[in-house]
Amino acid sequence: MTGAVLDPVIHVPARLQIMVTLAALPADDDLSFTRLQELIELTPGNLITHLRKLADTGYVTTQKNGSGVSARTSVALTHAGRAALERYTTVLRQLLDSASGS
Amino acid sequence: MNETIGAAGGSGGGLDPRGAAAIMTQACERARRELRVRRPVVFVTWGVVVLAGYGAMWLSVRSQHPVTGPAWETLLLAFLLILAAAGITANVVDQAAEGVGGRSQVQRGIFCLALVAGFAALEIVKQALWQAGLSHQLAALLGEAIPMLVAGLVLLASSAMTAPPDWPRLALGLWLLAVTAGGTWAGPVTGLAIAALAGGGGIAAMAVIEPRLRRS
Repeated sequence: MTGAVLDPVIHVPARLQIMVTLAALPADDDLSFTRLQELIELTPGNLITHLRKLADTGYVTTQKNGSGVSARTSVALTHAGRAALERYTTVLRQLLDSASGS
Repeated sequence: MNETIGAAGGSGGGLDPRGAAAIMTQACERARRELRVRRPVVFVTWGVVVLAGYGAMWLSVRSQHPVTGPAWETLLLAFLLILAAAGITANVVDQAAEGVGGRSQVQRGIFCLALVAGFAALEIVKQALWQAGLSHQLAALLGEAIPMLVAGLVLLASSAMTAPPDWPRLALGLWLLAVTAGGTWAGPVTGLAIAALAGGGGIAAMAVIEPRLRRS
């Protein structure tokens, strides 16, 4: 399987965790930054860095609502992000299959 | 996106496909565990409430000739059980839904509104019928049918809100409607026993059936 390539934006442990966690939600749902941070167990700074990378590629969107103490930042997987994760999973499966077959 | 990673791994901090698969599995399991409502807890809670609530009412009316309706103590017990179950359900849902916004948040709101509005409207109708001279026997029948009827209809209708449809919810809705219909035909005394055993038992059984339906 020489043609199989894994999306480098997703193929990083933290970003893979973020994508998979957001994909567990139904489409059109979002997750607060705080809850995502709890689930991924990253520092806020690290999470922001990885989210920025994913947002630049169009895989996630972030939205800030409210201000001050009531401010809430939500993160959602885009349709492009969901499709990219599906492609990533397919390629990963192919790689694992070819590795176990060889 | 110019950079690509082949079978050998390439970039990605030395993450090989097997490691990536392990991360995906762990993240997926954790997300599902944390973000999914623990429905078996909800089913068991409401199953026990229906069983105990209707069961207590049945005990209080089984020797009545003619039927005048459940004793106020049993109605109070049922009310307190419902309050406790609502509290447990809210807690279970809040744990899973904390930080989750968007469409499913709206769906949860509509689901609660449908239940509350349905119970309120039918209770008002019952009171109006009572004022119009409804007999004790008919009031008792109506009183035991209303909660199951509302719950069954709301579960049935809301099963279509998700994609794919929520089949366990649809099945439970249909079951509650069948129990309501059967119980009403059986009369106010036997109807309570049917509601307790078939209704409560059916809801509690979903705690076992639902995870299997989800996996299949």
